Amino acid sequence: MQMLSEDDLDLREMTDEELERAWDLWFDLAQSTNDADPPYSHGVLTGLER
Amino acid sequence: MVNVFFALTEEFNSDGVIALLASGQAVVFYRIALMSKDGDWVLKETESACRRVRSVLASHGARYRPGAPLDPRWLAGGWSSHFEFFDDKKRRIRCDFVSRPPRIPAADLGTMFSAARGEGALRVVDPERLVLLKQTQRAKDYPVIGELARLLPPQSERELTTDPDRILELAREPGGDSARESVRLARLGRSREEVVAALAGEVDRLQRADRARMQRYEGAAQSYLAEFRATVPIEAPLEDAHAVAVRLAERSLPTTLEGGAS
Repeated sequence: MQMLSEDDLDLREMTDEELERAWDLWFDLAQSTNDADPPYSHGVLTGLER
Repeated sequence: MVNVFFALTEEFNSDGVIALLASGQAVVFYRIALMSKDGDWVLKETESACRRVRSVLASHGARYRPGAPLDPRWLAGGWSSHFEFFDDKKRRIRCDFVSRPPRIPAADLGTMFSAARGEGALRVVDPERLVLLKQTQRAKDYPVIGELARLLPPQSERELTTDPDRILELAREPGGDSARESVRLARLGRSREEVVAALAGEVDRLQRADRARMQRYEGAAQSYLAEFRATVPIEAPLEDAHAVAVRLAERSLPTTLEGGAS
């Protein structure tokens, strides 16, 4: 059973440079949700709302 | 290097390996998915490692976010430390640190560093331990675990995968007992539906255990975090803010928490 999308799994076919560019573009786009992000995504405070 | 979290890992480790890139950015390293905007690291539990990381972060203009001081006394109790800065493209960079990652026994921490993958100063948590770190309360981590598990030897994959088809396939191979109900049912030739139901139960238990662990820390941190927000001068140089956070933590953040550190 394929659990992730083709877009995700295509990362394996990329060169290092392609992966870095893809990540950089994705990270640029991901900034648009900063205000809506939970305060913690790692560590022991992840469940806190603010 | 474009990925700021990979570059930071190299900076932290430029004088010797003290930090392993973990969680979402490690998933990027293994080319599984682009899934996390933040970086987190497993740090060696020493004062020099903490000092090195604070120095690198200060050079980027990082500020403390509410959390434990980056100090071995609290890291040893399983607490996490949190920082934030903005890169030269004004992108928000959040950096999180632990030295006692969940579900990794304390006796295994040394091996975790020697088993790390990557080259040079870019050191990354190995896939098997990364699966354990990803056994969180978040549903989105479980498809990733299924993909990470494919990087493991068959017997390890069988014990960790979240893919029911892989469980059914791997259960046919001889060798080794399994602690998993889903594998046991598959070996008995039970239906796919029963294996899937058992797998769902396993995932639910992992999620509830992770949630219970977090709640112990959240409860113990409430008054400290409120005081942190009120008193730690986040605009001050990082070492000044660190000193205030340490004094505050010495008063109101327990260094040990029953049932907490792993």
